[in-house]
Parts: sequence; C-alpha cells; structure tokens
Amino acid sequence: MFSIKLGLKNLSRQKRRNIITILVIAFAFFGYLFMESMMNGMEEMSIDNIKHFETGNIQIAHPEYWEDRDELPLEHLIEWDSELGSDLRQTEGVIGLSPELRFSANLNNGIDEMRVIGVGVVPENYNQVFETQDYFIEGSMSALEEFRAVIGEQMARLLDLTINDYVILLVRTKEDTFNTIDVEIGGIVKTLNPVMNNRMVLVPLELAQERLNVEDHITMLSLKTASGEEETSIQSLEGYFRQKGLPLQSYTWRESAANVIALAVAKKSGIGAILSVVLLIGMVGIINNIILSGLERTSEIGMMKALGMKEWEIVFVFMVEATGIGVFGGFIGCLLGLVGVNWVVKNGISFRFMGADMSAYGIPILDRIYGTWNGSTFYYIFFLGIFVALLSSIFPAYWAAHKDPVEAIYHR
Amino acid sequence: MPLLELKKVKKIYQQGKIKVPALRGIDMVVEEGEFTTIFGPSGSGKTTLLNMIGCLDTPTEGEIHLNGNKISDLSRKELAMTRRFNIGFIFQSYNLIPVLTAYENVEFAIRLIGRLAEKEMREKVLDMLAEVGLKGLENRRPNELSGGEKQRVAIARALVKEPKIILADEPTANLDSETAQDVIQNMVKMNRELGTTFIFSTHDPQIMEYARRLINLKDGMISVDKKVDLRKE
Repeated sequence: MFSIKLGLKNLSRQKRRNIITILVIAFAFFGYLFMESMMNGMEEMSIDNIKHFETGNIQIAHPEYWEDRDELPLEHLIEWDSELGSDLRQTEGVIGLSPELRFSANLNNGIDEMRVIGVGVVPENYNQVFETQDYFIEGSMSALEEFRAVIGEQMARLLDLTINDYVILLVRTKEDTFNTIDVEIGGIVKTLNPVMNNRMVLVPLELAQERLNVEDHITMLSLKTASGEEETSIQSLEGYFRQKGLPLQSYTWRESAANVIALAVAKKSGIGAILSVVLLIGMVGIINNIILSGLERTSEIGMMKALGMKEWEIVFVFMVEATGIGVFGGFIGCLLGLVGVNWVVKNGISFRFMGADMSAYGIPILDRIYGTWNGSTFYYIFFLGIFVALLSSIFPAYWAAHKDPVEAIYHR
Repeated sequence: MPLLELKKVKKIYQQGKIKVPALRGIDMVVEEGEFTTIFGPSGSGKTTLLNMIGCLDTPTEGEIHLNGNKISDLSRKELAMTRRFNIGFIFQSYNLIPVLTAYENVEFAIRLIGRLAEKEMREKVLDMLAEVGLKGLENRRPNELSGGEKQRVAIARALVKEPKIILADEPTANLDSETAQDVIQNMVKMNRELGTTFIFSTHDPQIMEYARRLINLKDGMISVDKKVDLRKE
C-alpha cells in the first residue's frame, strides 16, 4: 500500500512532463476513439445504404446471372408469376419482396447522354423493401404507377432535368436490338446512396419488360427480412428452390456489396494500425517518462535500496506511477472521446471537400459521414491503455531499480 | 559475540586496466552499543568501509560478520534483506523523499519491516520524530525543513526500525557547526537511550569529540583504533 501511495505521490513531481505525457496519451486515445467511431459509422452507413437502396437483405437470382450481374445482362432471367411471389412472401422471416428488371441504358435529355442503370420495379413492392420513398425532393413513388420515371438528384442536376421533363432511355432488348423507353420524370430523390443518386433510373416494371422484350421475366428479386432473420430466410429459400427444382439461388447483401466488405476489412486493418500507433505513442511517452524519472531519482533509488527495498519493490513504485499516467491519460482521452464521438454522431463530418460522392472511393455514401457509439471501445481502449502503460514501464523501471546501490546513493 | 567483525577485508576497484585498492586489509571488531567515529583524509576508504559494513557493497577479499552471520558473500536479495532489518543509514545529503512528509519518510522505513500494527506503527513514528525534536513538524515536506531538521528526519528514519547498527556517512558535512553539534548530540542521545550502535565517518574534529572510539583510516588501512573517554555529551 505504501508503494502505491509513493508511486501516486510521485505523479506530483515533474508536473509539466507528466501533464505533457498525459495529454499526449489523452489525444492519442481521443484520436483512436474518434476514428473508430467514424470508421464504424462509415461501415454502418455503407451497409445501410446498400441494404436500403440497392439490395435489400437478400437477393434472388439465377447463379449465371449473378456471376455477370455487373454487366446487366438480359439472360438467365427469372420467370415472375404470382405463384412464385406468393410462395416467396410466405418464406420465414421475409417481410417484403421486390421483383426487379435491371438493365443497361443510355439516358438522353435531348442534348446530353449518360450511361445509367435502369431498374424496372413495382412501386408497391419496391416500397416494402427499399427506403427510397422517404427521400423524394420532388414528386413521389406514385409517379411509377403513372408510367413515369424516378431519378436521382445528382443525375437531375448533371443533365439539367426537372420534374415533368421528358427523357429517352436507349436500351438493347433481349434480342440485342435497340429500343427506347420514353418517359416523363415523375420524381427526383436525394438518397444517401451515390448509385441511386447518380446512376439509377426507376421505371415501371411492366414498361421495362415490354420495351426490353422479356415478357414476364425479371433479373432478380430483392427481399427484406425481419431483423436477424437473414440466415433463416436463406435456408428456407434454398429449401424451397430445391423442392420446386428452380435454378435459383439466394444471396445476402454481403455478397452483393464487395466494396463494403472490402471497406470493413480495410477498416479492421486501419483501426488496428491506428491502435498500434496510439499504443506506441503511449509506450514512448511512458518509457521516456520513467527513464527520465529514473535518472533524476538515482540517489533516491540508492536510498531505497539502502533501506532494504528489493528491486521489484522499486519497480512496483515506478509501475504505479506509469499506471497513474495511463489512467489519467486514458480518462481524459475517453472524456475527449465522449465529446468528440457525441459530436460526430450528431453532426457528422462533411466530405464535400472530396467531392462529397465517395462512391469513387468504393464507399457508397454521399456528403456526410456520421459516427457511431461503441461503449465497449471506450472500456477496451481505457483498460488496454492502462495495461500497456504498466507493461511499458517494466523495462525502464527495472533499469532504474537495478542500479548499483553505492553508485546510486552517491550519484550527483 | 561481537556485533560486527571484519577480517582482513580488502576492496579493490577496477578502473579500466588499473586496480585501485580502497581497503587494504581491515580487521575490526565492534561491540553492541558502541559510538564509533571513523576519520581520515579524503580517499582513505571511510565511505568504502561503511558501504561494506552496510551491505551496500561486497569486499574483494576477507569476511564480514554481522550479529554472527557472515554477510560478505550474500546475494543481492539477501543483502537487501539484511539492510532492511539490521542496518540504518544516515547520509550526508539526507536522501529524503521530497514528495513525502517528515512523518511519511520515517513511516516508509518501518513499513518495509511490516511487523507492527497500524496504530503501533503510527505511535512509534510520532515518538521517534518527537525524540529527535521534530514534534509539530510531522506534516512538513523536506523542502519545508532546514538542513538540521532534514538530518533529524533521516536519523529518525534510521532509528525507527530499531536496527542493530546505524551507519552515518559524514552526517554533518552539509550543516553549519551549530546544527552539526545539535545533530550529533541527537545521535549520542539515541545511542545512550536506545543502545543502538553508531558508526559514523567525519572530517570534523569538533564532531569527533563526541565519539567513544576513534578509528583513523589511512590509505585503506587502520592506522589508529582507540577508545576514548567521554569528552562531550
């Protein structure tokens, strides 16, 4: 107990140096907590964007179509009928189902042309799976029922389009002949998803099927499941496909979102790297502090040895001191982290300086990135920080305590 | 059985390729309760001898027995334990811990022994501080004490654990003559009241007047070893 008291009292010596070390550790901790919150937020937003605007929780497609889905082929399609729809709706965990016909098109406004992803949807079904309806800045989803199209705000801005304007979608039919879909813009959405905002054009499914000459076929189905029911639904769906002999397969959003998964992997290594730097900063600070303290207190260490203190007892005094620095640094860092993370959760950080659209970097987020709360990270970094402070003090403390008592006592 | 016995103790320091003998064969016996002064010019080996007796250093040759136990070939850990329980030190520059109060500096030594209950320990520390004339100054830190008061704290720290022997290396060297007399009188008092054995080194002829045994070291050897009548108290 006395060693603990002495170690803690030693914190009051060299106040300026200790405060600097504590602040360095605190800012390193704060940086880590802030970055971790941002990166988690980015991942969470990316996942939500993918699920809420592009894929739903599960997608169903022909395996061959799935392989080539980025090229938007009109082969290996699904024959869509009410029986299949009814069966799939009854699958365990499924709460929404949207048939889609995805196709490649060139959108022409009469002056400019732009390559886009056309998606034929049934508004009523689409709304069960996706959240696009909540992001209209002009018009509404009912535009699709009136055989009008819905486009993203960015696309509208680029092509100088507004509601009620007419556009032509130049498409290739299933037989590879050219055709057009002439539609009036009935809605403009501004979602958090760059693909939806920049490149997607929603049109009525029936219209798309007719112009692409695919009859009652669709390219894939997007499903929304109840929370945590993805795996159950997939198993049920696979069973259903086997039972009916359908050449279909179900895929989770994870399989659709390679970029997001890559982001998550990069995030993990990024966070690991940040954590390593943070811990390294803490270690260097503590080691520097203990070495300097050991040098300054040489004759005091000699006196402790003369009093009969064993080396590990002297080491313990230094370890208490280092742990104290770690605790203060960690505590202040966590307090700063609370403030910083709270701010970034509420306000987010605008990435307009990067052009705002981060899909170019593989991150399906527009404009702001919001942080997330992760209470366990605070505990984790706090206790890990203390542990590392304690651990990094051992070697310099042992170096200090191992001095020859005679040389130490008479050291000036 | 003598409290301390040194038999042909030699200490040779290696400085590069040169061997520097600090002690050239010391034979010495100290009985319990003695108040002994080691004096001699600088470099005569006073500090080296005290370090050997105090288990801070080991001799190159020879044997040292403390309380019947041979201490000259103990391990570092065993030496630390011997210092903890048997030896008290008083240093020229006090070597107090600046962040601790006078009370805590003394408490530190007795806590290492760890034999007493909390209340008993507190009483003992306070009694010892009162004995050395520091009553009322218990809560002062070293930087709030004069040189003489600091040295009294060091004396209390050395005495509080009731060691067999107290070694003081020029304890008055940093003090003015009046304070030095005061400190040495304090040591004499403790020697007389508690029966603790004191061995201290000094240059100061005034201080030597308090000793009951004088050992003169010259070139690492004892040139004079004589018991003297009490001249001052």
